[in-house]
Amino acid sequence: MTDGAFGTSGRRRLAFSWLPGIALLIAVLATSTALKADEPVTIRFGFASVGVDNRPYSGGSPIATAQAEHYVENELKDLPNVRIEYSFFKGAGPAVNEAFANGQLDFASQGDLPQVIGRANGLKTRILAAAGAHGPMYLGVPVDSDIHSIKDLKGRKVAIFRGTNNHLAVVKVLAANGLTERDLQGINMDEASANAALVTRNIDAAFGNYGILLLADQGLARVAYTTKGDNPAYERESSLIAADSFVTAHPDLTQRVVTAIVKAAYWSSEESNREALFEIWARSGRPASVYRADFEGQTLKYRDTPLLDDYLIAQYRFQAQQARQYGLVRRDVSIDGWIDPQFLNVALKQLGLEHYWTSYDADGKPQGGS
Amino acid sequence: MKRTLRGLVLPVALLALWELASHARLVDPRILPPLELVAHTAVYQVMHEGLLGNLAASLARDMAGFCIGCFIGVVVGTALGLSRVADSLFMPSFNGLRQIAILAWIPLISIWFGVGESAKVVFIAAAALIPVVLNTREGMRAASAHLVDVAHALTFTRWQLVTRLYLPSALPSIATGVHLGLIYAWVASVGSEYFMTVGPGIGGLIIAGRERFQMDLVMLGILILGLVGLAINLGASAIEARLMRWKPG
Amino acid sequence: MRVAAAAAPSWPSLPRGGIAFLFPLSLLALWSVSARMGWLPPQILPAPSEVGSALWDLAGTGELASNTGISLLRVVEGFAAGSALGLLLGVAMGLSRTTEDYLKPLFTAFAQVPTLGWIPFLMLLVGIGEPLKILVIAKAAFVPVALNTLAGIRAVPPIYAEVGALFRFSRWQLLHRVVLPAAVPPIFTGLRYGLTHAWNALVAVELLASAEGLGYLLVWGRQMFWLDTMMGAMIVIGIVGFALDRIMAAAEQRLQRWRLA
Repeated sequence: MTDGAFGTSGRRRLAFSWLPGIALLIAVLATSTALKADEPVTIRFGFASVGVDNRPYSGGSPIATAQAEHYVENELKDLPNVRIEYSFFKGAGPAVNEAFANGQLDFASQGDLPQVIGRANGLKTRILAAAGAHGPMYLGVPVDSDIHSIKDLKGRKVAIFRGTNNHLAVVKVLAANGLTERDLQGINMDEASANAALVTRNIDAAFGNYGILLLADQGLARVAYTTKGDNPAYERESSLIAADSFVTAHPDLTQRVVTAIVKAAYWSSEESNREALFEIWARSGRPASVYRADFEGQTLKYRDTPLLDDYLIAQYRFQAQQARQYGLVRRDVSIDGWIDPQFLNVALKQLGLEHYWTSYDADGKPQGGS
Repeated sequence: MKRTLRGLVLPVALLALWELASHARLVDPRILPPLELVAHTAVYQVMHEGLLGNLAASLARDMAGFCIGCFIGVVVGTALGLSRVADSLFMPSFNGLRQIAILAWIPLISIWFGVGESAKVVFIAAAALIPVVLNTREGMRAASAHLVDVAHALTFTRWQLVTRLYLPSALPSIATGVHLGLIYAWVASVGSEYFMTVGPGIGGLIIAGRERFQMDLVMLGILILGLVGLAINLGASAIEARLMRWKPG
Repeated sequence: MRVAAAAAPSWPSLPRGGIAFLFPLSLLALWSVSARMGWLPPQILPAPSEVGSALWDLAGTGELASNTGISLLRVVEGFAAGSALGLLLGVAMGLSRTTEDYLKPLFTAFAQVPTLGWIPFLMLLVGIGEPLKILVIAKAAFVPVALNTLAGIRAVPPIYAEVGALFRFSRWQLLHRVVLPAAVPPIFTGLRYGLTHAWNALVAVELLASAEGLGYLLVWGRQMFWLDTMMGAMIVIGIVGFALDRIMAAAEQRLQRWRLA
C-alpha cells in the first residue's frame, strides 16, 4: 500500500509539503501573540437574586445600583476590549457557588451563608467590599393566618430557601425560640415559588426578604415577624465577592470594578437620592415601596456601606462559626485571608471617601476615623 | 370514518364541558380559564413574548443533547455488543448507574457543569444515551451467527464486519433505541428547564405560568408539550420505519 | 479460504461474577486516590469515604430510614392507584373495539405530555401536599400500564376465544379463565414499566416541592453544597429503584410458574 500508490517522484514532492504548513503555523502563532496584548476580557458578574418574572435586575444593594446604572461600564469606557456580562440566578447563593465552582463567574453579589459554604468547599474567592450590610429577614404568612410568632410555626409547612443567608438567620431565630428546622415541615423554595405557594395557601408561612415584602405590599400576605429591630445577631450580610483567579490575573481591572462599586455605593448612600434609589431598584419588578419599607428607619449609609470594617469582619467570623454550630457547614471555616480590603482602600482614597462612611468596631460601636 | 368520529366524541365533550364550567363560573376561572383565553394567550405569547423563540430554544437544546447522546450511545452500544470482554467489564456498572432515576442526576450535573447551557445539554445527552446503548448492544449481540460465518468466509476485515454486517443487522434495534432516545431526550430537556438555570424554553413558560397563577400559560405549555411530544413520536416512528427498510433479508 | 476463527478471549478467564466488580472497584480505587491526592477539588468530587460517612450519619439519625420510607409509601400508593386505573382502562379498551374507539384518542393525547409537564398544572389544582405526589406518581404509572394491558389483551390469539366458546364459557369466564391469564406477560411488562416510571416521577415531584423524602434529601444536599449527602441520596435512590424492579421481576417469575402449572 505504501509502496505502489505514490512512487518515488511523488515522495520527493511530498518531502517539502510540510514547509507551508510550518509557515502557516508560525504566522498564526505570531498573530495570536500580537492579539494577546489586546485580548478581549469579559467580566462576568453574578447576582444571587433575580427580578420578578426573571427580570434581569436586582435591588437592595449598591451592586444592583451599579448594574442598573452602568457604573462599571462607564468606569471601563476607555477599554473597548473589556465586556461586562451580568447573570441573575433564581437559585440564589447556591447557584452562584455552582457557577464559581465551574469558573463561570468573576464577581458576584452574594450573601454570607452561601459565601461561607463556598469557602468551606474550597472555592477560591475573596471578599472585596461590603454590599448589603445589616440585612433584615422577614416571615410572611397569609393575611388571615393564625400564625403570629415564630413559636406558632411548629409543625407547619414553611418555605425556607436553603443555603441562602436567609437560611442562617432562620436557623438562629428558630433556635432562639426553642425550635429547629426539623420541628417544621420545611420546604425548599426559591422566592417566586414561595410567593406563589404562600398566596395560594399551599404553605402556611415563608421566610424571605424582598419577596415577602412584595406580597405584603400587594396585600397578599402579612409580615408576622422580622429580625429588624430584634437581636442584631440575626442580621444577614452580603458582599462583593470575586474569584481569586480573576483578581490575580487582572488586578487593574479588579481595582476599577471595585472603584465603580464604591462610586455606586456613594450615590446609594446620599439621603437626597433616597427616593430615586428605590426607583432604580424598582426595575427589578418590586415597587419602590418594597425597598422603602425594608429601609424604613435606617439610613442609606448604614445599609449601603462598602466598608470592610472590624464589625463586618467579626460578623463574618460569627456567621462562619454559627453555620458550623448549626450543622450548615461540616467543617470549621476560617475567614483569615478571605476578606481583602486593599482594593476598597485604594478606591476610598482615590475618591476621597475615607471618612464618608462610619466604621464600626467588632462590638458594633462607631470607631473614630476609619 | 365512524371510528374517527367516535374518537372525537370524548375530547369534544370534555372541551365543551370545560367551556361551560369556566363561563358559568362553576369552577374558579383562574383554575379553569375559558378556552378562548388560552387561545388568546397563545397568540399573545407568539406575538409579544417570543413563544416561537422559546420553542426553538427548547428544541435546539433537545436536538443538541440528543445528537451527542445518540452518537455516544451507538458507539458505546456497539463496543459493548461486539466485545464480550468489554461487556462483562462495563455492563454491570452501566446497569447499576442507570438504576439511579435520571432526574436524580440533575443536582450532580449542575455542580459538575455549572450554570450554563452545557449542563442542560449534558443532562439531555445522558438521558438519550441510555436507551440507545441498551438497544444498540442488543442489536449487535443478536447478529445472526450464520451471517457472521459467511462474512468470515468472505474474509471481511474488522471494519467491514462492523459496517457491512453488524451495523445493518442491528439497525432495527438501533432504530428502537433512537426512538426511545428521542422521547427520553425531550422529557429530559423539559426537566432541565425546570431544575437548572432559567433560560429560554417551554419548561420555563410553564413554571412562569405556575408562579403567576396563570393557568392559561400552564395549559398553553402543556398543549405545546403534547404537540411536540406527538411530533417527536411520529417523527421517530418514521425514522424507525426508514431504518427498518435497510434490514437485510 | 480462511476458516472462521473463534473469538478467542485475550484475557485469562476470570470468575464469572467477579468480573462485574472489576470496573467499579477500580473506579472506586481511582476515586479514593484522586480525593486523597486532591486531583480534583473537594467541591467537585468528595472522597468516597465522605459519601459513606454521610450515609452513615443519615442512617444514624434515622433520617435515611424515614425519608426512604416516605418515598416508598408515596410510590406504593401512587403506583397502586395508577396501575389499577390503567388495568381497568386497558381491559376496557382491549375487550371492546367500540370502547377503544371512544377512549384511545383522548388517552393518547393525554399520554403525549410527559409527567413533568403535568406537575405545575396539578400544583395549581391541588397544591403541593401529599395529593400532588400521589396524583403525579399515579399518572406516571397509569400510561404504560394501560398501554401494555391493551396490547396484551389484543395479542391474545383469537383461537383462545374459539376454544372458550367450545367450552361454552360465559363472558366473565372467558375473561378471567382465558383472556386475562394469556395477557399476563405483557400486562406484567406494563406493570414493571409503570413502577419504573412511578419511581422516576416520585423523584421529580420530590425535587420540586417536598418537605421529606429521598428527593428532598437530594435538594437539601444541593443547596448546602454537600456533595457527599447528594451522592449518598443518589445511591439510595438507585438502590431502591433497583430493588423495586427486582421485586417486580421476582413476582413476574412467580406468576409465570403459576401460569404454566
